[in-house]
Amino acid sequence: MKNAKSWELKDVIMMAILGVVFAAVYLAVFNGGLALSTALTPMGLAPFGFELIYGVWFMAATLAAYIIRKPGVALITEVLASVVELLMGNSGGLTVVLTGVIQGAGAELAFALFRYKKWNIASMSLAGIFSALFIFCYELFYLDYIHLAFGLLIAQLAVRFISAVVFSGIICKLAGDGLARTGVVKSYALGANADIGKIYDEEDE
Amino acid sequence: MRSVNPAMKFLSLLAVTLILAYEYDLLLNLTVFAASVLLMLISKVRLRTLLLLMLPIILAAAGMFFTGYRFSAEGNMPVNAEIMNIGSSALLNGLTQASRVLAYAGIGFLFALTTDRIMLISSFRRQLHLPQVFAYGLLAAWGVFPHMVQEYKRTRAAFRARGLRVFPVSPALLKPLLVKSVRWSEELAVAMESKGFSGQAQRTELDPVRVRAGDIAFLLLSVGIPAALAFLI
Repeated sequence: MKNAKSWELKDVIMMAILGVVFAAVYLAVFNGGLALSTALTPMGLAPFGFELIYGVWFMAATLAAYIIRKPGVALITEVLASVVELLMGNSGGLTVVLTGVIQGAGAELAFALFRYKKWNIASMSLAGIFSALFIFCYELFYLDYIHLAFGLLIAQLAVRFISAVVFSGIICKLAGDGLARTGVVKSYALGANADIGKIYDEEDE
Repeated sequence: MRSVNPAMKFLSLLAVTLILAYEYDLLLNLTVFAASVLLMLISKVRLRTLLLLMLPIILAAAGMFFTGYRFSAEGNMPVNAEIMNIGSSALLNGLTQASRVLAYAGIGFLFALTTDRIMLISSFRRQLHLPQVFAYGLLAAWGVFPHMVQEYKRTRAAFRARGLRVFPVSPALLKPLLVKSVRWSEELAVAMESKGFSGQAQRTELDPVRVRAGDIAFLLLSVGIPAALAFLI
Protein backbone atom coordinates (compact mmCIF):
# COMPACT_ATOMS: atom_id res chain seq x y z
CA MET A 1 0.00 0.00 0.00
CA LYS A 2 3.06 2.24 -0.07
CA ASN A 3 2.34 3.45 -3.54
CA ALA A 4 -1.35 4.03 -2.88
CA LYS A 5 -0.85 7.61 -3.98
CA SER A 6 0.06 6.49 -7.44
CA TRP A 7 -3.21 4.65 -7.94
CA GLU A 8 -5.56 6.40 -10.24
CA LEU A 9 -9.21 6.43 -9.35
CA LYS A 10 -9.91 5.01 -12.80
CA ASP A 11 -7.86 1.90 -12.08
CA VAL A 12 -9.32 1.45 -8.64
CA ILE A 13 -12.92 1.72 -9.80
CA MET A 14 -12.12 -0.71 -12.59
CA MET A 15 -10.68 -3.17 -10.07
CA ALA A 16 -13.58 -2.69 -7.68
CA ILE A 17 -16.17 -3.16 -10.43
CA LEU A 18 -14.43 -6.28 -11.70
CA GLY A 19 -14.46 -7.34 -8.07
CA VAL A 20 -18.22 -6.82 -7.91
CA VAL A 21 -18.83 -8.67 -11.18
CA PHE A 22 -16.78 -11.61 -10.04
CA ALA A 23 -18.20 -11.58 -6.53
CA ALA A 24 -21.61 -12.07 -8.14
CA VAL A 25 -20.22 -14.81 -10.37
CA TYR A 26 -18.58 -16.43 -7.34
CA LEU A 27 -21.85 -16.53 -5.47
CA ALA A 28 -23.70 -17.95 -8.47
CA VAL A 29 -20.98 -20.51 -8.99
CA PHE A 30 -20.95 -21.32 -5.30
CA ASN A 31 -24.50 -22.57 -5.56
CA GLY A 32 -23.59 -24.56 -8.66
CA GLY A 33 -20.67 -26.06 -6.80
CA LEU A 34 -22.96 -26.89 -3.93
CA ALA A 35 -25.27 -28.77 -6.28
CA LEU A 36 -22.29 -30.67 -7.67
CA SER A 37 -20.94 -31.52 -4.27
CA THR A 38 -24.36 -32.51 -2.98
CA ALA A 39 -24.51 -35.01 -5.81
CA LEU A 40 -21.11 -36.32 -4.73
CA THR A 41 -21.94 -36.27 -1.02
CA PRO A 42 -22.98 -39.90 -0.54
CA MET A 43 -19.57 -41.00 -1.79
CA GLY A 44 -17.84 -38.64 0.62
CA LEU A 45 -16.39 -36.81 -2.36
CA ALA A 46 -18.29 -33.59 -1.73
CA PRO A 47 -15.20 -31.30 -1.86
CA PHE A 48 -14.53 -32.35 -5.45
CA GLY A 49 -17.65 -30.50 -6.52
CA PHE A 50 -15.84 -27.34 -5.55
CA GLU A 51 -12.42 -28.39 -6.76
CA LEU A 52 -13.77 -28.68 -10.29
CA ILE A 53 -14.79 -25.04 -10.37
CA TYR A 54 -12.22 -23.67 -7.94
CA GLY A 55 -10.45 -21.81 -10.75
CA VAL A 56 -13.39 -19.44 -11.04
CA TRP A 57 -12.29 -17.87 -7.75
CA PHE A 58 -8.94 -16.86 -9.24
CA MET A 59 -10.41 -15.15 -12.28
CA ALA A 60 -10.86 -11.64 -10.88
CA ALA A 61 -7.17 -11.29 -10.07
CA THR A 62 -5.88 -12.60 -13.38
CA LEU A 63 -8.34 -10.73 -15.56
CA ALA A 64 -7.78 -7.41 -13.81
CA ALA A 65 -4.02 -7.85 -13.96
CA TYR A 66 -4.28 -8.77 -17.64
CA ILE A 67 -6.22 -5.59 -18.38
CA ILE A 68 -4.46 -3.04 -16.18
CA ARG A 69 -0.97 -4.60 -16.09
CA LYS A 70 0.41 -2.84 -13.04
CA PRO A 71 2.13 -4.35 -10.01
CA GLY A 72 -0.34 -4.98 -7.21
CA VAL A 73 -3.44 -5.14 -9.36
CA ALA A 74 -3.94 -8.88 -8.98
CA LEU A 75 -3.68 -8.79 -5.21
CA ILE A 76 -5.88 -5.76 -4.70
CA THR A 77 -8.61 -6.89 -7.08
CA GLU A 78 -8.85 -10.25 -5.42
CA VAL A 79 -9.11 -8.59 -2.02
CA LEU A 80 -11.75 -6.13 -3.23
CA ALA A 81 -13.71 -8.98 -4.78
CA SER A 82 -13.59 -10.87 -1.52
CA VAL A 83 -14.75 -7.82 0.45
CA VAL A 84 -17.71 -7.43 -1.88
CA GLU A 85 -18.38 -11.14 -1.67
CA LEU A 86 -18.47 -10.84 2.10
CA LEU A 87 -20.93 -7.96 1.91
CA MET A 88 -23.21 -9.91 -0.41
CA GLY A 89 -23.62 -12.54 2.26
CA ASN A 90 -21.04 -15.23 1.77
CA SER A 91 -21.16 -18.48 3.63
CA GLY A 92 -17.43 -18.77 4.19
CA GLY A 93 -17.60 -16.09 6.82
CA LEU A 94 -15.17 -13.28 7.43
CA THR A 95 -12.16 -15.26 6.42
CA VAL A 96 -13.26 -14.87 2.81
CA VAL A 97 -11.25 -11.64 2.96
CA LEU A 98 -8.27 -13.57 4.24
CA THR A 99 -8.59 -16.08 1.42
CA GLY A 100 -8.81 -13.15 -0.97
CA VAL A 101 -5.49 -11.88 0.31
CA ILE A 102 -3.89 -15.31 0.01
CA GLN A 103 -5.18 -16.05 -3.50
CA GLY A 104 -4.32 -12.57 -4.64
CA ALA A 105 -0.81 -12.92 -3.25
CA GLY A 106 -0.40 -16.15 -5.20
CA ALA A 107 -1.45 -14.55 -8.46
CA GLU A 108 0.66 -11.49 -7.74
CA LEU A 109 3.73 -13.62 -7.12
CA ALA A 110 3.31 -15.34 -10.48
CA PHE A 111 3.12 -12.05 -12.36
CA ALA A 112 6.03 -10.68 -10.34
CA LEU A 113 8.14 -13.70 -11.35
CA PHE A 114 7.60 -12.61 -14.94
CA ARG A 115 8.56 -9.08 -13.83
CA TYR A 116 5.17 -7.83 -14.95
CA LYS A 117 6.33 -8.15 -18.54
CA LYS A 118 4.76 -11.36 -19.76
CA TRP A 119 1.00 -11.31 -20.17
CA ASN A 120 0.01 -14.52 -21.87
CA ILE A 121 -1.59 -17.86 -21.18
CA ALA A 122 1.58 -19.12 -19.48
CA SER A 123 1.84 -16.33 -16.93
CA MET A 124 -1.90 -16.27 -16.33
CA SER A 125 -2.04 -20.02 -15.82
CA LEU A 126 0.87 -19.80 -13.43
CA ALA A 127 -1.00 -17.10 -11.54
CA GLY A 128 -3.95 -19.46 -11.22
CA ILE A 129 -1.75 -22.36 -10.14
CA PHE A 130 0.02 -20.27 -7.50
CA SER A 131 -3.32 -19.04 -6.20
CA ALA A 132 -4.50 -22.64 -6.00
CA LEU A 133 -1.35 -23.75 -4.21
CA PHE A 134 -1.40 -20.86 -1.73
CA ILE A 135 -5.03 -21.32 -0.84
CA PHE A 136 -4.58 -25.06 -0.51
CA CYS A 137 -1.81 -24.66 2.05
CA TYR A 138 -4.06 -22.35 4.00
CA GLU A 139 -7.02 -24.72 3.82
CA LEU A 140 -4.90 -27.59 5.09
CA PHE A 141 -4.88 -25.86 8.44
CA TYR A 142 -7.81 -23.53 8.42
CA LEU A 143 -10.39 -26.04 7.26
CA ASP A 144 -8.41 -28.81 8.93
CA TYR A 145 -8.12 -30.67 5.68
CA ILE A 146 -5.02 -32.04 7.31
CA HIS A 147 -7.38 -34.38 9.14
CA LEU A 148 -8.39 -35.87 5.81
CA ALA A 149 -6.66 -38.70 4.03
CA PHE A 150 -3.47 -37.85 2.12
CA GLY A 151 -4.51 -39.46 -1.16
CA LEU A 152 -7.71 -37.46 -1.19
CA LEU A 153 -5.76 -34.24 -0.68
CA ILE A 154 -3.40 -34.92 -3.59
CA ALA A 155 -6.35 -35.70 -5.84
CA GLN A 156 -8.06 -32.50 -4.72
CA LEU A 157 -4.98 -30.43 -5.46
CA ALA A 158 -4.58 -31.97 -8.93
CA VAL A 159 -8.18 -31.24 -9.86
CA ARG A 160 -7.80 -27.72 -8.52
CA PHE A 161 -4.70 -27.07 -10.65
CA ILE A 162 -6.53 -28.13 -13.79
CA SER A 163 -9.46 -25.95 -12.88
CA ALA A 164 -7.13 -23.00 -12.23
CA VAL A 165 -5.49 -23.32 -15.65
CA VAL A 166 -8.82 -23.64 -17.44
CA PHE A 167 -10.54 -20.72 -15.73
CA SER A 168 -7.84 -18.20 -14.89
CA GLY A 169 -5.50 -19.13 -17.72
CA ILE A 170 -7.58 -19.93 -20.77
CA ILE A 171 -10.97 -18.37 -20.07
CA CYS A 172 -9.54 -15.13 -18.64
CA LYS A 173 -7.22 -14.75 -21.62
CA LEU A 174 -10.13 -15.21 -24.00
CA ALA A 175 -12.31 -12.83 -21.99
CA GLY A 176 -9.57 -10.20 -21.89
CA ASP A 177 -8.90 -10.46 -25.62
CA GLY A 178 -12.62 -10.31 -26.29
CA LEU A 179 -12.83 -7.12 -24.27
CA ALA A 180 -9.85 -5.66 -26.13
CA ARG A 181 -11.59 -6.31 -29.46
CA THR A 182 -14.69 -4.44 -28.33
CA GLY A 183 -12.47 -1.41 -27.72
CA VAL A 184 -13.74 -0.56 -24.25
CA VAL A 185 -10.35 -1.09 -22.62
CA LYS A 186 -8.44 1.14 -25.01
CA SER A 187 -7.31 3.39 -22.17
CA TYR A 188 -5.73 0.47 -20.32
CA ALA A 189 -2.52 -1.36 -21.10
CA LEU A 190 -4.35 -4.31 -22.63
CA GLY A 191 -6.35 -2.31 -25.14
CA ALA A 192 -3.66 0.24 -25.93
CA ASN A 193 -2.44 -1.54 -29.02
CA ALA A 194 -5.33 -3.87 -29.67
CA ASP A 195 -6.63 -4.15 -33.19
CA ILE A 196 -10.12 -2.74 -33.06
CA GLY A 197 -12.63 -1.87 -35.69
CA LYS A 198 -15.15 0.91 -35.49
CA ILE A 199 -16.32 1.58 -31.96
CA TYR A 200 -20.03 1.72 -31.46
CA ASP A 201 -21.32 3.52 -28.43
CA GLU A 202 -24.91 3.24 -27.42
CA GLU A 203 -24.84 6.88 -26.35
CA ASP A 204 -24.31 7.89 -29.99
CA GLU A 205 -27.68 6.68 -31.12
CA MET B 1 -25.38 -5.62 16.63
CA ARG B 2 -26.31 -3.00 14.07
CA SER B 3 -24.89 -0.16 16.17
CA VAL B 4 -21.47 -1.72 16.68
CA ASN B 5 -18.70 0.02 14.79
CA PRO B 6 -18.25 -2.01 11.58
CA ALA B 7 -14.46 -2.11 11.63
CA MET B 8 -14.49 -3.22 15.26
CA LYS B 9 -17.16 -5.79 14.49
CA PHE B 10 -15.04 -7.06 11.63
CA LEU B 11 -11.96 -7.42 13.83
CA SER B 12 -13.93 -9.09 16.62
CA LEU B 13 -15.61 -11.63 14.40
CA LEU B 14 -12.36 -12.29 12.56
CA ALA B 15 -10.76 -13.05 15.91
CA VAL B 16 -13.57 -15.47 16.73
CA THR B 17 -13.11 -17.16 13.37
CA LEU B 18 -9.39 -17.53 13.95
CA ILE B 19 -9.97 -19.04 17.39
CA LEU B 20 -12.30 -21.56 15.75
CA ALA B 21 -9.70 -22.31 13.12
CA TYR B 22 -7.12 -22.99 15.79
CA GLU B 23 -9.38 -25.20 17.89
CA TYR B 24 -10.81 -28.34 16.38
CA ASP B 25 -13.78 -28.79 18.65
CA LEU B 26 -17.36 -29.81 17.97
CA LEU B 27 -18.91 -28.17 21.01
CA LEU B 28 -17.18 -24.83 20.54
CA ASN B 29 -18.28 -24.71 16.88
CA LEU B 30 -21.87 -25.40 17.78
CA THR B 31 -21.84 -22.82 20.58
CA VAL B 32 -20.53 -20.14 18.26
CA PHE B 33 -23.10 -21.05 15.63
CA ALA B 34 -25.95 -20.88 18.14
CA ALA B 35 -24.67 -17.57 19.51
CA SER B 36 -24.47 -15.97 16.08
CA VAL B 37 -27.98 -17.13 15.14
CA LEU B 38 -29.25 -15.75 18.44
CA LEU B 39 -27.51 -12.41 17.89
CA MET B 40 -28.97 -12.19 14.39
CA LEU B 41 -32.49 -12.81 15.70
CA ILE B 42 -31.98 -10.18 18.41
CA SER B 43 -30.83 -7.70 15.74
CA LYS B 44 -34.12 -8.27 13.92
CA VAL B 45 -32.79 -10.22 10.96
CA ARG B 46 -35.85 -11.76 9.36
CA LEU B 47 -36.17 -15.44 10.07
CA ARG B 48 -37.16 -16.18 6.50
CA THR B 49 -34.01 -14.53 5.06
CA LEU B 50 -31.92 -16.46 7.52
CA LEU B 51 -33.50 -19.80 6.71
CA LEU B 52 -33.13 -19.24 2.97
CA LEU B 53 -29.45 -18.42 3.39
CA MET B 54 -28.92 -21.35 5.72
CA LEU B 55 -30.35 -23.95 3.36
CA PRO B 56 -27.27 -24.27 1.11
CA ILE B 57 -25.01 -24.14 4.17
CA ILE B 58 -26.74 -27.12 5.71
CA LEU B 59 -26.16 -29.01 2.46
CA ALA B 60 -22.49 -28.01 2.54
CA ALA B 61 -22.24 -29.12 6.15
CA ALA B 62 -23.73 -32.47 5.24
CA GLY B 63 -21.19 -32.81 2.41
CA MET B 64 -18.34 -32.03 4.78
CA PHE B 65 -19.71 -34.53 7.30
CA PHE B 66 -19.52 -37.39 4.86
CA THR B 67 -16.05 -36.35 3.69
CA GLY B 68 -14.79 -36.14 7.24
CA TYR B 69 -16.47 -39.45 8.04
CA ARG B 70 -15.19 -41.43 5.09
CA PHE B 71 -11.75 -39.89 4.68
CA SER B 72 -10.66 -39.41 8.23
CA ALA B 73 -6.87 -39.05 8.40
CA GLU B 74 -6.79 -40.97 11.65
CA GLY B 75 -8.51 -43.90 10.02
CA ASN B 76 -5.49 -44.27 7.77
CA MET B 77 -3.01 -44.61 10.57
CA PRO B 78 -2.62 -48.17 11.77
CA VAL B 79 -1.37 -47.03 15.17
CA ASN B 80 -4.50 -45.13 15.93
CA ALA B 81 -6.74 -47.81 14.56
CA GLU B 82 -5.54 -50.19 17.22
CA ILE B 83 -5.95 -47.85 20.12
CA MET B 84 -9.10 -46.04 19.17
CA ASN B 85 -12.45 -47.13 17.96
CA ILE B 86 -12.29 -46.04 14.30
CA GLY B 87 -16.05 -45.88 13.93
CA SER B 88 -16.63 -43.27 16.60
CA SER B 89 -13.51 -41.25 15.80
CA ALA B 90 -14.51 -41.05 12.14
CA LEU B 91 -18.00 -40.03 13.18
CA LEU B 92 -16.65 -37.31 15.44
CA ASN B 93 -14.33 -36.12 12.68
CA GLY B 94 -17.29 -35.88 10.32
CA LEU B 95 -19.42 -34.03 12.84
CA THR B 96 -16.65 -31.60 13.68
CA GLN B 97 -16.00 -30.80 10.02
CA ALA B 98 -19.72 -30.22 9.53
CA SER B 99 -20.14 -28.07 12.64
CA ARG B 100 -17.23 -25.95 11.52
CA VAL B 101 -18.96 -25.14 8.24
CA LEU B 102 -22.01 -24.05 10.26
CA ALA B 103 -20.01 -21.91 12.68
CA TYR B 104 -18.12 -20.04 9.94
CA ALA B 105 -21.31 -19.42 8.01
CA GLY B 106 -23.05 -18.21 11.14
CA ILE B 107 -20.35 -15.64 11.82
CA GLY B 108 -20.28 -14.56 8.17
CA PHE B 109 -24.03 -14.01 8.04
CA LEU B 110 -24.00 -12.25 11.38
CA PHE B 111 -21.60 -9.76 9.89
CA ALA B 112 -23.15 -9.42 6.44
CA LEU B 113 -26.75 -9.11 7.62
CA THR B 114 -26.20 -6.61 10.40
CA THR B 115 -23.73 -4.25 8.74
CA ASP B 116 -24.47 -1.19 6.69
CA ARG B 117 -22.25 -1.21 3.59
CA ILE B 118 -21.60 2.49 3.35
CA MET B 119 -20.84 2.71 7.05
CA LEU B 120 -18.52 -0.26 6.76
CA ILE B 121 -16.44 1.35 4.03
CA SER B 122 -16.21 4.67 5.80
CA SER B 123 -15.36 2.89 9.03
CA PHE B 124 -12.61 0.90 7.28
CA ARG B 125 -11.26 4.17 5.99
CA ARG B 126 -11.23 5.88 9.37
CA GLN B 127 -10.32 3.09 11.75
CA LEU B 128 -8.30 0.73 9.57
CA HIS B 129 -6.73 3.43 7.39
CA LEU B 130 -7.96 2.10 4.09
CA PRO B 131 -6.55 4.54 1.50
CA GLN B 132 -9.14 7.03 0.38
CA VAL B 133 -8.90 6.08 -3.27
CA PHE B 134 -9.89 2.49 -2.45
CA ALA B 135 -12.77 3.64 -0.30
CA TYR B 136 -14.07 5.69 -3.22
CA GLY B 137 -13.53 2.82 -5.62
CA LEU B 138 -15.49 0.44 -3.42
CA LEU B 139 -18.29 2.93 -2.91
CA ALA B 140 -18.49 3.52 -6.66
CA ALA B 141 -18.57 -0.18 -7.39
CA TRP B 142 -21.20 -0.69 -4.75
CA GLY B 143 -23.30 2.05 -6.31
CA VAL B 144 -22.98 0.48 -9.75
CA PHE B 145 -24.06 -2.93 -8.57
CA PRO B 146 -27.84 -2.39 -8.91
CA HIS B 147 -27.23 -1.23 -12.49
CA MET B 148 -25.35 -4.43 -13.18
CA VAL B 149 -28.22 -6.53 -11.90
CA GLN B 150 -30.55 -4.51 -14.11
CA GLU B 151 -28.28 -4.94 -17.10
CA TYR B 152 -28.01 -8.66 -16.52
CA LYS B 153 -31.78 -9.01 -16.38
CA ARG B 154 -32.15 -6.90 -19.51
CA THR B 155 -29.70 -9.03 -21.48
CA ARG B 156 -31.46 -12.15 -20.32
CA ALA B 157 -34.81 -10.74 -21.33
CA ALA B 158 -33.37 -9.83 -24.74
CA PHE B 159 -32.29 -13.41 -25.29
CA ARG B 160 -35.65 -14.70 -24.17
CA ALA B 161 -37.41 -12.34 -26.54
CA ARG B 162 -35.48 -13.93 -29.38
CA GLY B 163 -36.43 -17.35 -28.17
CA LEU B 164 -32.88 -18.29 -27.18
CA ARG B 165 -32.16 -20.23 -24.02
CA VAL B 166 -28.98 -19.34 -22.14
CA PHE B 167 -27.41 -20.57 -18.93
CA PRO B 168 -27.48 -18.19 -15.95
CA VAL B 169 -23.67 -17.76 -16.09
CA SER B 170 -23.14 -18.25 -19.82
CA PRO B 171 -20.58 -16.04 -21.63
CA ALA B 172 -23.37 -14.65 -23.80
CA LEU B 173 -24.78 -12.97 -20.70
CA LEU B 174 -21.52 -12.07 -19.01
CA LYS B 175 -19.78 -10.48 -21.97
CA PRO B 176 -22.17 -7.53 -22.37
CA LEU B 177 -22.06 -7.13 -18.62
CA LEU B 178 -18.26 -6.95 -18.61
CA VAL B 179 -18.19 -4.49 -21.49
CA LYS B 180 -20.75 -2.26 -19.78
CA SER B 181 -18.90 -2.52 -16.48
CA VAL B 182 -15.64 -1.39 -18.00
CA ARG B 183 -17.36 1.52 -19.67
CA TRP B 184 -19.15 2.50 -16.46
CA SER B 185 -15.94 2.36 -14.50
CA GLU B 186 -14.33 4.86 -16.82
CA GLU B 187 -17.30 7.20 -16.86
CA LEU B 188 -17.63 7.01 -13.09
CA ALA B 189 -13.96 7.78 -12.60
CA VAL B 190 -14.18 10.89 -14.75
CA ALA B 191 -17.37 12.00 -13.02
CA MET B 192 -15.99 11.43 -9.54
CA GLU B 193 -12.70 13.15 -10.21
CA SER B 194 -14.49 16.17 -11.62
CA LYS B 195 -16.49 16.39 -8.39
CA GLY B 196 -13.33 16.30 -6.30
CA PHE B 197 -13.46 12.65 -5.23
CA SER B 198 -9.90 11.99 -6.25
CA GLY B 199 -7.41 10.02 -4.25
CA GLN B 200 -5.43 13.02 -3.06
CA ALA B 201 -7.84 15.76 -2.01
CA GLN B 202 -8.91 15.61 1.64
CA ARG B 203 -12.60 15.92 2.29
CA THR B 204 -14.56 16.28 5.50
CA GLU B 205 -17.41 13.95 6.37
CA LEU B 206 -20.87 14.87 7.51
CA ASP B 207 -21.22 11.94 9.86
CA PRO B 208 -17.90 10.29 10.64
CA VAL B 209 -17.99 6.78 12.06
CA ARG B 210 -16.42 6.68 15.52
CA VAL B 211 -15.28 4.02 17.94
CA ARG B 212 -17.14 4.14 21.25
CA ALA B 213 -16.59 2.35 24.53
CA GLY B 214 -19.28 -0.19 23.64
CA ASP B 215 -17.34 -1.20 20.54
CA ILE B 216 -14.20 -1.91 22.55
CA ALA B 217 -16.29 -3.91 25.03
CA PHE B 218 -17.74 -5.90 22.13
CA LEU B 219 -14.26 -6.63 20.84
CA LEU B 220 -13.05 -7.80 24.24
CA LEU B 221 -16.13 -9.93 24.90
CA SER B 222 -16.17 -11.61 21.52
CA VAL B 223 -12.50 -12.50 21.81
CA GLY B 224 -12.66 -13.35 25.52
CA ILE B 225 -15.70 -15.62 25.64
CA PRO B 226 -14.70 -18.07 22.86
CA ALA B 227 -11.11 -18.07 24.08
CA ALA B 228 -12.29 -18.91 27.61
CA LEU B 229 -14.61 -21.58 26.23
CA ALA B 230 -11.83 -23.06 24.15
CA PHE B 231 -9.63 -23.15 27.21
CA LEU B 232 -12.29 -24.81 29.37
CA ILE B 233 -13.51 -27.40 26.89
